[in-house]
Amino acid sequence: MREASGDECLEFKWGKKRIVGGKKKDVQFYESFTFDGDEYSLYDSVLVGDANEPDSHELFVAKIIKIWEHTNKRAKNPRQVKLLWFFRPSEISPRLLEGVQDVLAKELFLASGEGPGLANVNPLEAICGKCSVVCISKDKRNPQPTDEEIESADFVFRRVFDVGSSRVLDTIDDKIAGVDVMFLFNRAGSKQEATNVQKVQEDINVNPDSLKLNSLPACVSVPETEDNSIESSDLRESSYSREEGKEKGHSKLAEERSNKDSSVQESTVHLKDHDVCEASGSRGNHCDGNKAQEREVTKQFTKLKSLPAEERYSNTCEDSDSRVNHSSSEKPQANDVKNPLAKQKSMLAAAGERYSKESSGFDDRPQKKRKLDGSDGKGDTGSFKRPRDISSDGKRGSEAFKRPKDKETGDEVPPEKPSLVKEKRDLGVSVSEGRDAKTAKKPSFDGRLLKRAEELADDYERGYQVIEVKQKPDAVNSKWFRPLPWEESMREAEKEERLVLLQNLDPTYTSDEVQNIVYSALNEQSTARMIERTSVTISHTGEALVIFNSRQSAERAIKRLDKGCLLLSSGRPLVAVFAKINPPGKLSSFYGHTKLQKTQMRREARDAVSTSRGSQPNTLEYAMAMEWCLHRARSDHAFQMAIKVLRQLEVKKSLRVNFKAKLP
Amino acid sequence: MANPEEEEGEEEKYESFLSRVRRTVYVDELTPHASKSVVESAFSQFGTVKEVIFLPNYLGPKELPTGVLIEMESEQKAKAVIETVSQFPFMVAGMPRPVRASAARPAMFSDRPKKPGRRIQFRWVDPSDDEFDKAQRVKRLVRKHTAEAAFMIKKQLEEAEELAKQQSETVTTHHKKFELIDKLTHDGVAQELAGRYNMKCGPPYR
Repeated sequence: MREASGDECLEFKWGKKRIVGGKKKDVQFYESFTFDGDEYSLYDSVLVGDANEPDSHELFVAKIIKIWEHTNKRAKNPRQVKLLWFFRPSEISPRLLEGVQDVLAKELFLASGEGPGLANVNPLEAICGKCSVVCISKDKRNPQPTDEEIESADFVFRRVFDVGSSRVLDTIDDKIAGVDVMFLFNRAGSKQEATNVQKVQEDINVNPDSLKLNSLPACVSVPETEDNSIESSDLRESSYSREEGKEKGHSKLAEERSNKDSSVQESTVHLKDHDVCEASGSRGNHCDGNKAQEREVTKQFTKLKSLPAEERYSNTCEDSDSRVNHSSSEKPQANDVKNPLAKQKSMLAAAGERYSKESSGFDDRPQKKRKLDGSDGKGDTGSFKRPRDISSDGKRGSEAFKRPKDKETGDEVPPEKPSLVKEKRDLGVSVSEGRDAKTAKKPSFDGRLLKRAEELADDYERGYQVIEVKQKPDAVNSKWFRPLPWEESMREAEKEERLVLLQNLDPTYTSDEVQNIVYSALNEQSTARMIERTSVTISHTGEALVIFNSRQSAERAIKRLDKGCLLLSSGRPLVAVFAKINPPGKLSSFYGHTKLQKTQMRREARDAVSTSRGSQPNTLEYAMAMEWCLHRARSDHAFQMAIKVLRQLEVKKSLRVNFKAKLP
Repeated sequence: MANPEEEEGEEEKYESFLSRVRRTVYVDELTPHASKSVVESAFSQFGTVKEVIFLPNYLGPKELPTGVLIEMESEQKAKAVIETVSQFPFMVAGMPRPVRASAARPAMFSDRPKKPGRRIQFRWVDPSDDEFDKAQRVKRLVRKHTAEAAFMIKKQLEEAEELAKQQSETVTTHHKKFELIDKLTHDGVAQELAGRYNMKCGPPYR
C-alpha cells in the first residue's frame, strides 16, 4: 500500500491495487482507498460536491466505477475517479418525469446509455463522503434488500435514466458505462436473511455471467503482488492463489479469491464496515467449483482464524457473504483441522467449552481449566449445585443419563429425587442432534477435568448447532422452598453478588423464558424477572434481572457470556453484567412539585394543592404545567432520536448477527 | 413441542392478558411520594380502578419519576383516561408537574404470560466463526447503548431539576406579590390610597 504524500490536509491512503495501465504504463488502477477517515471501494456510492458552486450544500450522488493514479508526473490531479452519476428527480426536467410513476422520496435514477451526464472523471478529492444507495429493483439479478435496509438507506434506486434519449427506463441493460450491472446492483453478501446455502447458489449463478462479462482489467495473478497486510497469510495465499491461477486462468479473480480467503479469516469485523466487495464475479468465484481446493486451504486458514480476530485488514473487504460462504464450506473440514490448532489458542479452550455448552452437556470446566485450573470447579462443590458439576456430565437430553438430573435437583436439595428424574426426561430432548453418537460413547460421569481435554476434540464435530430453549425443571423450587417475594430475594442476591443483569433480550420475552434460557444455555438454575419497558428504557431491547444460586454460578455465567457469544433466535447476543440496583427505601426527591413555604397559605388552598385534579388554563399553575409538558416532550424526542440513531447505526453496520448456524 | 391443548391454553391466557393490557393505562412522571391510595383516588374520578401496579425502578437513577400501571374496568375507560390526561394537565399529589398517561404495552408487565407458540432457540457462536466478531461488537454496542441511555436520562433529570428550581422561584415571587396585595387590601391601605388618588378599589375579598 502506498502512503499518500504529506501535502494533503485530508488523510489519504491507497487500498488494494489493481493493474497498471495507460499508454505509458504510468497509471495505477486501484480498488479502494481511504480518504478522510472513510474507506471507499469500487462501486461504492459517494456524495460529490458541485464543482461550479463549491459552497453549495447540494451534493450529487454517484458510484465510483474506476479509481486510478498517474504515477509518473505530478499532474494537476494525479488521483482520479470515474463516477457514474445518479440523478435526483429534482435534477430531471419535470416533463421528462411525466410518465414516470411512483417516484419515492429518496429515489434516484441511475444514469445509463450514452452521452454527457453519464459519467465523469473527477479528482478523487472531490468526494465529500459516503452514502448508502440500495437498489430496490425487482430485477432478478438484483439481490433483494430487506425492509430495514431500505428504511435505513440514504437513497434507493430502481430505474435508470438514459442520458442519450433523456428518458426514464425501467429495464436495466447488461452494461452501464462499460461496467457490468452486477456491480451496480446490491451486493449479494450484505443480505443477512439469505441463508448460506442460498447465497452459495446465488453466487454460483452470478459467477458465470460475471466472469464472462467481466470487463475489468484482470491482472496477472501473482499473488505475491497481494498487498496484504497480513504476513502470516502471505505464504499460504500465494500457494493457494497460484493453484487458483492455474485452475482458472482468471488471475484477477484468483487474486481476489485468495484475498478473500485470507481476509475471511482475519478481518471478520472489518468486513462489515466495507460495503463494497470486489466484482461479484470474484465473489462467486470462491464458492464456485473448486470447493475441494478451498477446503485444503481452509485448513491452513483455520490457523489464521485462531489469530486474534481483531487483525486489521484494511484492504478490500469481504462482504459477509463471502465470509459466510467460506465458513460454510470449510466447516466440516475445519473441524478436523481445528483440533490440533485448538490447543494453540487459549481462546479455544473457551471455545471448546462453548461447544460443549451448546450441546448443553457440559459445564464450563474447560474454562476453568484454562483459567483457574480447577480450583474454581472445586470451589463449586461448596454450593449445593456442585455435585452435578463434578459428578455428572450433564447430558441433559439423553435418557441414558439420569444423573444429570441431579444437577437440577441438587440445587436446593442435596438428596436426589428420583421422581424428578422422570420429569427431566419429559422435558429434555436430546438437545444436541449430532451428539447422539457421542453420548453413546460417553463414558461415566466422573467428570474428571482431564476428560475435558479429549472431549474437546469431540466437541468440535458438534459444530455450533441451534438448540431450542427448554423448559427448565422448576419442580424443585416449589416443592422445597416457599418462594420469597421477588424484591427481597433480589436485594439479598445483590448483597451476595448473585444478581446479574442480562441485556439485549427480546423485549417480549417473559421472566420464565429468561429462566429457561439461562437454564438451557448456561445450565444454571435461576429466577429471573424481566424489567419493564417504560418510557425511560430502550424499548427495542429487553433486560432482565437474574438471580443465580451462588456467586460462582453468577460469575461463571457472566464470564461465559462475555467470552463467548450466545445468540438467541432474534439474532441478538446476550450481554451480562453484575447488576447494581438502587438501595431500597429512600424516598427519592421528585422534581416538579413545588410547595409554598408560607404557612399562612389558606387551608383550602393547601388541600386543593394536594388533591389531584386538572388545572384551569387561566392559572399560573397551568402555565407551569405547560412548561413541564414542554420539558417532557423535549426529553422524549431526544431520547427517541438517540435510539433511532443507534438502531440505524446497528443496521447500517450490518450488525445483525446471522442466527442460522453454518451448514455442515 | 407443546401439544395442542397446551397451546390453546397458552393462547387463551395470552389473549386475556392482552385484553388486560388494553384496559390498562400507563401513567408516569408520577412522584414517588404518591401512595397507592392516592393514585387510586386520583384516577377513580374517571371510573373504577381495578388495580394499581407500581413499576419498580431498580436500575435507573433515584430521581426518576415513578411509573404506574392502572387497570380500569374497560378499554373505553382506559382510553378516556388517556385522552383527558393528555389534553389537560392532570396533577397528582402535588403541582404543577402533570402526569402523563399512555396506553400500556405488554412489555410493561413483568409478570406477563408467554407469547403462545414461541420457541426460543439459541446457539453459541464459534469463536472462529466470522459471526463471532460481529456478535462481540454487538455486545459492546449494547453496553454502549446502555451507557448512552443512562447518560441521556441523567441529562433529562438535570434539566428537570433546573426547571423545577426555576418554577419554584416563580411561584414564590408570585406568591409574595400576591400576599403583599392581599395584605394591603386587608389592611385597608389600598382603599385609602384609592381614595387619595380618586380611584376605585375593588371590595376587599376574602
